[in-house]
Amino acid sequence: MSHAWRPVIVVIGVIVFILGMRMILVPGDFKAKNGDYKYQWHRVSSEEFWKNFPVKHKGREFCKQCHPDKIEKVADSGHKNVQCENCHAQFNPEKKGHPINLKEDFGYLLDIGIDRSRELCKRCHAKLEYRPNLYFMFAKGPSTFHMIDPTKHNPGIECVTCHDVHRTGFK
Amino acid sequence: MELTRRQLLKMGLLSVCGTVIPISALEIFKPDALASLVHPFSKKKRWAFVVDTTKCMGCGMCAKACKLESDIPFDTEVQRTWVERYVQLKTGEVIIDSPRGARYGFTANDPQGRELKDEDVTKGFFVPKLCNHCEKPSCVQVCPVGATYKTDDGVVLVDRKWCIGCGYCITNCPYFARFFHPIYNVADKCTFCYQRITKGLNTACSDACAFGVRKIGKLYDPDSEVFKIITTQRVAVLKPEFGNEPHVFYLGLDDIVK
Repeated sequence: MSHAWRPVIVVIGVIVFILGMRMILVPGDFKAKNGDYKYQWHRVSSEEFWKNFPVKHKGREFCKQCHPDKIEKVADSGHKNVQCENCHAQFNPEKKGHPINLKEDFGYLLDIGIDRSRELCKRCHAKLEYRPNLYFMFAKGPSTFHMIDPTKHNPGIECVTCHDVHRTGFK
Repeated sequence: MELTRRQLLKMGLLSVCGTVIPISALEIFKPDALASLVHPFSKKKRWAFVVDTTKCMGCGMCAKACKLESDIPFDTEVQRTWVERYVQLKTGEVIIDSPRGARYGFTANDPQGRELKDEDVTKGFFVPKLCNHCEKPSCVQVCPVGATYKTDDGVVLVDRKWCIGCGYCITNCPYFARFFHPIYNVADKCTFCYQRITKGLNTACSDACAFGVRKIGKLYDPDSEVFKIITTQRVAVLKPEFGNEPHVFYLGLDDIVK
């Protein structure tokens, strides 16, 4: 065999090695969907990963299983469009605590607790010059949104001392 | 073959013309491409989002819900959706801020920590932001390993197992919607709550919004609220000059919004 063939064999060997490694390393479902290499070139099973990501906020229907009275009360009040989890899902370790272990018994993954701080109510009800003062989500049409100046409206006292937040009225 | 001067000029001109016409100019012959220019009336499966900024109160419940739902440690400085506050003073100065991504809400008139008097403010409003799930996502184009992609229904996702954490996509998103996940150290972003919308639920942020600001819907479904708003009202997108064709449509945008 002529010496001129030796580099050709080396090149072919390298190509075979690269293709072989590619077959081993690249997952079988890695492909360009619809022939779109620009935007859809991916591991298709990754879509399943995001579809199976746990759903954490389960909404009123979940809470209703044990607290139908509270759900009815809220549904009849000005807070009817506020989800339970808006106020009761906690990130603060001190305020966590639900009498039943929701995670083990119901597969519910959020930490539930009670937050009585003014800061929570101020998120919607603190008066800001540019905060919209009309509310549009009730069937009866636009209604005024109740806002207070937190520096003047009974500073230092928790809102729930006087207000029933589930009924949106005074206690 | 004899080639006359006339033939040479003719054929030369023809081949020059042929090479300079870009392939994209021929797209006018593709009905699919034409239809996608008029997005709401396209039959293509596509999710879209509407944000009505005129109703936003800046409570930040969306940001809180998103962060809990998407499992990003609550006190880290990154999140998938956030709310920005724009305050313009009578001097013309614009102050923009988003303290802690608004996950604790806006509770005082203190943009950027400045004490403002009510009479100094000429206008102010809140703008919720999230990933725009572009039709031509520039973040996907730059991924060197194919770890981020657009699904068939138009949602841009990240493959956590395949991402090498180079950060090209993070710098290439004109909307600053991407960040490094503090635990997995891969690129992370809003997924339109893919786990929820594929099960027929709303996204966590639109569920948490008590003011009807955020709406997710099918752009190809004429009965969806999103379709109705986009086809009948004055909607705008953020930074259209980038040509990404974003699919988060805003009502009540102002030119001070960046």
